[in-house]
Amino acid sequence: MDKNDIIENLGKILTPSQVNTDSEDLYDASADRYKKYAKVRRVLDVPVPAAIVYPTSADEVSHVLAFCNEYGLNVIPRAGKTATEGGLENWKDNTVVVDARHLDKILHIDTYNMQATVQAGVPLQELEDELRKQGFTTGHSPQSKPVAKFGGLVATRSIGQFSTLYGGIEDMVVGLECVFPDGHISRIKNVARRSGGPDIRHIVIGNEGSLCYITEVTVKIFRYYPENNRFYGYLVKDMETGIKALREVMVNGFRPSVARAYSEEDAAQHFYHFHKNRCVLLFMAEGPEGIVQATCQAIEAAAEKFQDGIVEQVDSQSIADWFNNLNWSQKDIDDEFEEMKEKDSHAGYTTEISADWETIPKIYNNVMKRIRQEYPRAHDLTMLGGHSSHSYINGTNMYFVYNYRILCAPEDEMRVYHHPLQRIIVEETLTLGGSMCHHHGIGKFRNEWTMEEHGTAYYMLEKLKQAFDPKGIMNFGTIYPQEEGAKYQK
Amino acid sequence: MKIICVVKIVPDVDSIVCDVENNILTGNAARMMLNPDDACALAFALGVKASDPDCFVEVVSMGPMSARPRMEDLLRLAVDRGTLISDPVFEGSDTLVTSAVLGRYIATRPFDCLLTGSHSLDGGTAHVPVQLAETLGLDQMLGIIRIDPHRFDSTRAVFEVEDDKTVTTYEMAMPGVLSVTRQSGYKLPYVTLSDMRRDVSDELAIITNQDLCFSETDVGPAGSRTKVVNRYPQTYEKKDRHIVGNDEAGISCVFNFLKQKGFL
Amino acid sequence: MKKTCIFQDTEKTQNTTDLLEVSERMYGRGQFESHAVLLADSFDPLMGSFHHIIRVAKGLVDCYDPRGICDILENLHKKNRFDSILIPGTSLGEMIAPRLAKRLRTGLVAGVTDIKKEGGHIEIIRPAFSGKILEGVLHTGNGPVMMSIRPNAFEYTPGDPLQTVVSAYTEPVSSPSAVTRLHVKENQQTCDIRDSEVLIAGGGGVKESFPELYRLADALKGRVAASRKLVDQGIAPRSIQVGQSGKTVSPRLYMALGIHGSMQHMAGLRHIESLISVNTAANAPICSLSDIVVHGDAGKFIDRLMKKIAVYRS
Repeated sequence: MDKNDIIENLGKILTPSQVNTDSEDLYDASADRYKKYAKVRRVLDVPVPAAIVYPTSADEVSHVLAFCNEYGLNVIPRAGKTATEGGLENWKDNTVVVDARHLDKILHIDTYNMQATVQAGVPLQELEDELRKQGFTTGHSPQSKPVAKFGGLVATRSIGQFSTLYGGIEDMVVGLECVFPDGHISRIKNVARRSGGPDIRHIVIGNEGSLCYITEVTVKIFRYYPENNRFYGYLVKDMETGIKALREVMVNGFRPSVARAYSEEDAAQHFYHFHKNRCVLLFMAEGPEGIVQATCQAIEAAAEKFQDGIVEQVDSQSIADWFNNLNWSQKDIDDEFEEMKEKDSHAGYTTEISADWETIPKIYNNVMKRIRQEYPRAHDLTMLGGHSSHSYINGTNMYFVYNYRILCAPEDEMRVYHHPLQRIIVEETLTLGGSMCHHHGIGKFRNEWTMEEHGTAYYMLEKLKQAFDPKGIMNFGTIYPQEEGAKYQK
Repeated sequence: MKIICVVKIVPDVDSIVCDVENNILTGNAARMMLNPDDACALAFALGVKASDPDCFVEVVSMGPMSARPRMEDLLRLAVDRGTLISDPVFEGSDTLVTSAVLGRYIATRPFDCLLTGSHSLDGGTAHVPVQLAETLGLDQMLGIIRIDPHRFDSTRAVFEVEDDKTVTTYEMAMPGVLSVTRQSGYKLPYVTLSDMRRDVSDELAIITNQDLCFSETDVGPAGSRTKVVNRYPQTYEKKDRHIVGNDEAGISCVFNFLKQKGFL
Repeated sequence: MKKTCIFQDTEKTQNTTDLLEVSERMYGRGQFESHAVLLADSFDPLMGSFHHIIRVAKGLVDCYDPRGICDILENLHKKNRFDSILIPGTSLGEMIAPRLAKRLRTGLVAGVTDIKKEGGHIEIIRPAFSGKILEGVLHTGNGPVMMSIRPNAFEYTPGDPLQTVVSAYTEPVSSPSAVTRLHVKENQQTCDIRDSEVLIAGGGGVKESFPELYRLADALKGRVAASRKLVDQGIAPRSIQVGQSGKTVSPRLYMALGIHGSMQHMAGLRHIESLISVNTAANAPICSLSDIVVHGDAGKFIDRLMKKIAVYRS
């Protein structure tokens, strides 16, 4: 089946107006933010998909998937397009991108049972705005909130800035609806809890479009108490002090909504007006007044306990101001594109990993050391640092952030800069038993280590693919390693 | 045509931390890079070479051996010869000595034109190109924003120099020294991935004082006529912030500040 | 008695006297004899400020020929044995000073902004590393102290008028340049905010009064810049946007009117010498980096400051 046949058939299954073959849109659909720079410079090395389709219902999704399954056409599910790890990158000529644009309805906001049901293409911001009007919040606030949509948030196991209190998306999803390659539509019902066998929600949450297509999601909602928000900021002498203070608050049983520790370099780019070349530790407490008070006391006690490592306390208004300007909008994304057109630079990259409390500082130090010692273009780095931004009772994450002057051809940028850096971070993390992918998903460029990430449990992951997508049509190359894709990686 | 580009490998000023107490710059953390003006000069030279395969481009730099990797990066472009003049006895030389050292080497090389950047990023001066020209008895011009490629050969060069108010076109007999600024917009070609991985370590010519035979008292700090004795941080970030009202007193304060700083 | 030689500021002759401040800082008022060297030009503004004015005869040397001018200064030094030679840091001065230093085998300190005198030593201060640090430099060796002086760094307060002796320099120049000026045109490339030493920048707080910024910019010979907020709203063109996604600027003066100072904005500011912010929120982040924070409305501020400037200039 060639591209014209695919387009024609899709036009019959849906309507022609639901099939987009605009060349610029297809170029845009051939890669995500992972290859942002090559994309802007028009040097992408991957094929463009055959078409983008916009189904309006689970039934239409079902028909499209069944068609693709029958003819072995690659399917890339997509929603808000904020993927950063290549999950939306296309490696096949015959690819159909299934976009959730028209699955855009908020179906039900139930403030008595504290849950809201939306279609997959509803932007998180839209639901959040609706909830705020009624005094509620989703509790979910990834930096991409103004742009990201529910289908993608659930498919990538996303996490938000207030996760330390509210959890990741997996803690919020109550039930959902999804469509499998053979056209089967599954609905997982919305209940508070059950013991009906394994929790099958987790087959869907985080599948990155490699098993099924999510069409509808029900999430928990929370009461919103903005008037109780409290902020704390400290300059600390090193990362270890910062992480110890985070741990102290967490293991004592408290849940600040934000608990972060920034390295000197990372702090310098975030807190230019007060960082003084120090590491920064910050907290936010929110929720009911009594809980906020207790949490604040715990934060102050932790600061007291580690006072030797604390240089000074920062005006809490500065932290609040910073937080209120943190999210990036579509405008930021567009601006970065404009910047990349003109300058040999972009806004940088991140690689996010996680591990237990004991291991995180070791990984951090090993990575920094290895990059400085063995990375041949270390002198082009304009920034290398990291922060811990999502904490749990038993560990935390580390967000490595780096940027560099791009002194090579745009098509070589990944191979010269990002890949070698990412490799060092992933290798050091896996060696010490951490996870290489805290919240961005595996995408297509960390699939090389998927087996190592999961070890003997990869068996289970592999069986899921065989069971739900036996013909391998779903998002070729994402999560599951593919030999054919290696040419785009190395 | 034979072109020699004289360049400097400089620390990226953004990565420098000034340790005032010890009067040193923490150079370890400093990233080294090709001086931006010099990169424009080299970019122009490589452009000439691209359209005239007979053109020979040599890049010459004086600096510590730590500059070597950055010089090797230049060999991965279409540069014909790379030369690093490096000797511990040269370290700490001021511009007077530096231009003498560069001049002695360059006098032994064939060239029709010397191309340099105008200003160095670290020192912020344009001494070396000017003093090098004086050493070699050549004419020299700073602040060049464009060289006419059609009127650039072994006999003469026509180029434009920009200042606040005017753009002036000059013609200079060659050989001479042309010093280009960043405003030229000349951009180095990208290094390809295969060239980046190429081992060029034996292609860089290293010239030491054994080749140049300076008396040790004439170079380095001993031969220099200026000496940096103190470093003070420019503390933009810790300002004695002065909050004033939007009234007569506040306006006067701003006015006096502007006047004192010469903005009026 | 020390002897100081000052070369004309060929861009603004009247500024030549400011270099006397440098000599005074080194030697003390009345402790030196001053010589000004002028290419053919009016010398009226310098009368009474210098002991000697040496006028280079018309036609001896082209005004764009640093080599020829060096010949003259070299000859004058041989005759007078100056203790110091000061050259304005103009584009011509930048080509003269290093060449002359080389001929006289003496050290040169460029872009000087200050002089410190401690004990018997004269420490010459200049910015280095893009203005990130200041270097204190000592002159060693036997040659005259040579400096190029950053424009506007020094201001001279005249004392009692001197009896200025005016003389003419007429010796032919032995080694002129082989450079010909073909033509001069007006600089069209003047609209880039990156080239401006003074930027009057507006943000969300001057939505209404943005056109007023141009008046202030004209008065201070600067240009108008904008934060992303104004560009987003279509009030300012993208070409004048400062910040991460706009341009990176390093003016000597940045006046931030109604700008909050988000990180994205601050990323576009490098090595700003003076920052004045006008803001209704005196604790906006940008205020913490400002020399002066004016607490209030930017539109009214512009009006009042413009009036003050108008009075001063009339």
